[in-house]
Amino acid sequence: MSTEAAENYALSFTDLKVTFETAGPDVHAVKGLSLAVRPGEVVALVGESGSGKSVTSTAAMGLLPENAYITGEARVGNVNVVGLDQGKMRKMRATDIAMVFQEPMTALNPVLTIERQLTEALELHDVAYGKEATDRAIELLTLVGIPDPAKRIKQYPHQFSGGQRQRIVIAMAISCDPKVIIADEPTTALDVTVQAEILDLLRELKDRLNTGILLITHNMGVVADMADQVAVMFQGNLVETGDVQQVLLHPQHEYTQRLLSSVPRLSPVIIDESAPRSEPTAPVERELVLEAKDLVLEYNMRGKIFRAVENVSFDVAKGEVLGIVGESGSGKSTIAKAVLGLLPVASGTLAVKGHNLPKLSTRQARAVRKDIGVIFQDPAASLNPRFPIGDCITEPMVVHKVGNKASRTKRALELLDAVKLPRNVINRYPHELSGGQRQRICIARALTMNPELLIADEPTSALDVSVQAVVLEMLQDLQRDFNFACLFVSHDLAVVDMLADSVVVMQNGKAVEQGRVDTVLHAPTHDYTRRLLAAAPVPDPIEQAVRRDAWRILNSTK
Amino acid sequence: MSNTNDNLPQNLTSVAEVEDAKLARQSEDSKSQGRIVIGRFVKHKLAMTSSVILVFITIFAFSSVGWGVIPGWWDKSYLDAGAVINGGKPTLSLVPTWLGGEGIRWGENPFGQDSIGKDYFALVMTGTQKSIIIGVVVGTVATFLGAIIGAVAGYFRGWVDEVLMRITDLFIVIPLLVLAAVLGQIAGASSGSIITLAFVLGLVTWTGLARLVRGEILSLREREYVAAAQAMGSKTSRVIFKHLLPNTIGVIVVNATFAIAGAILLESSLSYLGFGVQPPESSLGLLISQYQNAFTSRPWLFWWPGMIIVAIALSVNFLGDGLRDAFDPRHTGKKRRRRAGLFALPTRKEKP
Amino acid sequence: MLKFIAKRLGSAIGVLFAASLLLYILVINSGDPLKDLRESNADNREYLMAQRIDYMELDQPWYLRYWDWLTGVSKCFVGQCDLGRNINGVEVSGLLANAAASTLRLVLIATVIAAILGIAIGVLTAVRQYSGLDYLVTFLTFLFFSLPVFWAAVLLKEYLAIGFNDWIASPDISVGTSILIGIVLGLIMQMFLGGSLKRRALTFVAVAIFVPLVLQYSLWLNFYRFPQMGPAIVVVLTLLVALSGTAMTAGLKEKRVLYPALITVVLVLAAYYATFYLMSEPNTWILLGGLILAVAIPALVGRLMGGRLRKNAASVAMVTGFVGAALTVIDHIFRAWPGFLDNKGRPISTIGSSTANFEGGYWDHFLDNATQLLLPTILLAIISLASYSRYTRSSMLEVQQQDYIRTARSKGLSERTVIFRHAFRNAMIPIATIAAFDFAGLIGGAVITERVFGWKGMGEMFATGLDHVDANPVMAFFLVTGTAAIIFNLLADIVYAMLDPRIRV
Repeated sequence: MSTEAAENYALSFTDLKVTFETAGPDVHAVKGLSLAVRPGEVVALVGESGSGKSVTSTAAMGLLPENAYITGEARVGNVNVVGLDQGKMRKMRATDIAMVFQEPMTALNPVLTIERQLTEALELHDVAYGKEATDRAIELLTLVGIPDPAKRIKQYPHQFSGGQRQRIVIAMAISCDPKVIIADEPTTALDVTVQAEILDLLRELKDRLNTGILLITHNMGVVADMADQVAVMFQGNLVETGDVQQVLLHPQHEYTQRLLSSVPRLSPVIIDESAPRSEPTAPVERELVLEAKDLVLEYNMRGKIFRAVENVSFDVAKGEVLGIVGESGSGKSTIAKAVLGLLPVASGTLAVKGHNLPKLSTRQARAVRKDIGVIFQDPAASLNPRFPIGDCITEPMVVHKVGNKASRTKRALELLDAVKLPRNVINRYPHELSGGQRQRICIARALTMNPELLIADEPTSALDVSVQAVVLEMLQDLQRDFNFACLFVSHDLAVVDMLADSVVVMQNGKAVEQGRVDTVLHAPTHDYTRRLLAAAPVPDPIEQAVRRDAWRILNSTK
Repeated sequence: MSNTNDNLPQNLTSVAEVEDAKLARQSEDSKSQGRIVIGRFVKHKLAMTSSVILVFITIFAFSSVGWGVIPGWWDKSYLDAGAVINGGKPTLSLVPTWLGGEGIRWGENPFGQDSIGKDYFALVMTGTQKSIIIGVVVGTVATFLGAIIGAVAGYFRGWVDEVLMRITDLFIVIPLLVLAAVLGQIAGASSGSIITLAFVLGLVTWTGLARLVRGEILSLREREYVAAAQAMGSKTSRVIFKHLLPNTIGVIVVNATFAIAGAILLESSLSYLGFGVQPPESSLGLLISQYQNAFTSRPWLFWWPGMIIVAIALSVNFLGDGLRDAFDPRHTGKKRRRRAGLFALPTRKEKP
Repeated sequence: MLKFIAKRLGSAIGVLFAASLLLYILVINSGDPLKDLRESNADNREYLMAQRIDYMELDQPWYLRYWDWLTGVSKCFVGQCDLGRNINGVEVSGLLANAAASTLRLVLIATVIAAILGIAIGVLTAVRQYSGLDYLVTFLTFLFFSLPVFWAAVLLKEYLAIGFNDWIASPDISVGTSILIGIVLGLIMQMFLGGSLKRRALTFVAVAIFVPLVLQYSLWLNFYRFPQMGPAIVVVLTLLVALSGTAMTAGLKEKRVLYPALITVVLVLAAYYATFYLMSEPNTWILLGGLILAVAIPALVGRLMGGRLRKNAASVAMVTGFVGAALTVIDHIFRAWPGFLDNKGRPISTIGSSTANFEGGYWDHFLDNATQLLLPTILLAIISLASYSRYTRSSMLEVQQQDYIRTARSKGLSERTVIFRHAFRNAMIPIATIAAFDFAGLIGGAVITERVFGWKGMGEMFATGLDHVDANPVMAFFLVTGTAAIIFNLLADIVYAMLDPRIRV
């Protein structure tokens, strides 16, 4: 990148290398990266965990920890910030380069008012003072779409929702008109509909303020939605760059190709009311494994009863997969919890193989548990860190007093083969495995007792795209082989589309729409399902542009 | 996010492949968490030194004057008065003659004698023994009670939890020392044996650990492996004792050591006030209390027991600190994250 | 928030009641109150026993005795406390007044000193994690955790008190000693101030040269027996505070901050002369009122003149005013010191909470109380300081890992602002809860300290009472300390709610 060209860039990296000194061998997080962001342009830096994308952005902010060793150039405007004096770097933050973080729930200081947190940057960088700064802050809140900003500016972060907090963080980032904003996974922690709103906001602000945006993300849909340019990183290397259409539609590098093919896709949605509806074919001889009728579930929060699920009915037969989709707080995971016996049923029936769970004695319930396997979301927390893998897998056998030591070991080895992990893993501990591998162990554990029902609660949402693809494929294969019924809870419509036979769409504890997948997800009738579908971005910039418009129309009529 | 994959095949193009390749490459021996912790602890110099000192003091205290019916290698008894030799000055000397000292010598009364000629070494060693026994018994009782009650309160919450929290509130109103003094008085009045005293002290010092374990269990019980265990039909006792308590072992072990140090200090304070160990039994606190006014005339009567209490308590505390570092490496200096200081200039290392 | 505090208060009173019942039952069962009389050979043994049974109402069942005590206590609400009689038939409430005052003063001062210093040290060591200072402080806190209080007390008595008393009779520091003191202080200062190697070296050299010179000069002045400051030094020091405060917050060119600070200096000088005679023989209320004025007036000046920098201006002026007032008080204490030394040749006391039959003015009594309090306060404060600094350090380290600290840094805030505005307040939230337990620990410590220093305080009342199986004094001790603990706890809760808006709103 020549120096005269650098004049036009809001942010540019030239041969950036970052190495961390650790107790063990040095970790080469970024291995020579060159990239540029022009004003008013969105460059997406894409990669999975370990790709070095977040390290790159943190280096540009000068916020890397002490043990980082940086070479090459990272220019903000015309200033190389690598090795820059801390005092000068501080002056550039907020005014030249600002950042939006991933986790809006923790990014704001809980003990200071929004006003204080917004005005301090304004006062620090001589933009405005006192009353004037407050006025400017209110203006910023209006700009990012916080309702009633003059009143709400006096409030504390915990009084805002996650999406609103992310808006406040964005307001903070644009407060001093920076040349470039680094958005580090800005929507990963948010629901799809909120994500769509935040992406809209970022796009609008970028056009209005002519700021460059370096968008760090693992979500190809977000890339298709937002980016002008795309840079793909893998294990610290930049493997491919180009404009968004070229990279997403005609990827050159093998890694990018595989990454894109790993992304589950929703086929085009027909939002037209008069669209042809596929007739539900009457199923022949369904052997029901799980059946819920007018299910009501409640949480008792310090004496206050909170109704999480209201009058939901569904059933799953042997060999079928039922997807439950919805956003956070919709009650989808609560249903899974109730089936697992972790939450009492308030009213209605919830029957496993004809046994109504609320009516069973503890002993009978334990017998029923034998036929239910479970996979949870967080691979880091779903295995007891003190158990070797073998014990983790065979724990259900121990609990139900099945087999002896030898037969248990044999079963563990079989299951390890089934989830395609080397047999010597049996004596390892969970902390020695990666997230995807642990999730495969969880699948193995769930299948130990040959269950007739598998509960999968967001089993892949904490995983990288390519790892998710491996796990999902494995689940599909195993389901075909073992023919169990599966209750699959997910926020990701594309994953449900790929895996499930029928689906329940939940909103605020109610099932708003349910039926066969090809009906509900491809010709939805309920407004909420449509919005959900329209909000989920797809990794195709052309199609995504169409969906975005559809989303706007839906959203404006809500 | 580790990229120490320099000797992995370079043609991998998927994260899943990279991870599986790393797993295949890992060396055969697999480390459990317990072994990792022990490994870290052994490398902690201060904690290891403290352990050695503790073991040394313990062996010395028990072997010298013997324990129960087992005789020790020291021939004088802490109960026998005798003739006061040379004003009862200690005969122990560690300064060699060529440095102008009296030579390295153990002598008749290494720690000196008290005013009626009792051998102070025997007295101090007996006292040390009692202090160690009290520390260990109190630590064990308090840890056992604290861990179980904390786990039950954290797991079941509800009224058990409510009762636990109110009991710990009790110690805001009645200071521990005060309650311990009253109970010590009762224990002393009823039997006078130090084991009784130690049990009684254990009964009032468990609350701190119970609070900590409760907090830990409250967060652990939300982990998905606990939910998985419950979902597969595990009994409550299995969930608590197999899944929850073993994962709080760090908190328990670390605080057990701190409880031991605290108990030794508490006992010495009580004995000093006269509500702990009663004569003719001996304990380090009692010795200081008996001889505190001898500071100007016979300073050794004051220094020896005090120094030994400090040595034991300090070693136990450092041991606990080392254990904490070993269990929770976030606290160690491994990953040096130093930021510019309060008044300091930036100290970042960034080479252009 | 009111609801939160009312709830906490309600549960605290419940706990107080339960604790009183528990303690009462335990104490009356802790032995035989008639033991000494049963063993005595006195002629009037039967009479003495009957008398004691009458005093202690031993003929009544325990629940009636407890009920009597409880009704007696409840009369406190109408100002007529009846806490029963002790083993010798003396009204406990009469004994209580003096005892409570000296003990609570000791515990309160120790708490305040320990909390302020402990938190400051904790913040500093957290900011300088893994520095020499951090290791030193860590070692010292562990040492303090491991010290038996009474043992350390004897050492303090012997070396600090007696050593100082001997020395003050004819103060002398040899040249060699003063150079050594300079070097030690230099090493400590460079640790505290930190910075680059060059800066540390400069600090060390400056201190190591400056301190011995000052020591020798002060000896030449006979400063230790006849300390003096005078208006000139008061004003110069106040001016220094005003200027450095301005420079640190806004820069000396910023007149909106500088002028209020300078005006405060002039006001300090005026007040020095205006209050000279009043301050020679003041009382506590005058001092308190003066302090409030000395902070409030500059704050007002700062607010009025500061414009958009009024917060900075007010705080700089407030600090200047406070330092000026403090220096004025110190000046008067200096003036009283020679007379005090004549009156009490060995100033630091090791026994008792005040000197018997001590004659003198306000400042003499002040100095007498201060020197009596010195050793026990140091002792109690050191122990509690260790835990405050340790907890603050770990809490600060925890908070510094939080996302919002990164957000604050990404705004370009200076490290100082990040630490004080963003990290500190969050780090204080858990400290507020720990403070309650710590206060209880201090009261326990006070029992021991009073024994060591021979105070006739609450601790003594407790220890003697318990020794004689005499419930009423023990319960009186519990009533005062328990109530104090609850009030302190309530304050901690209020601070907690003030710090954490999630409780408040």
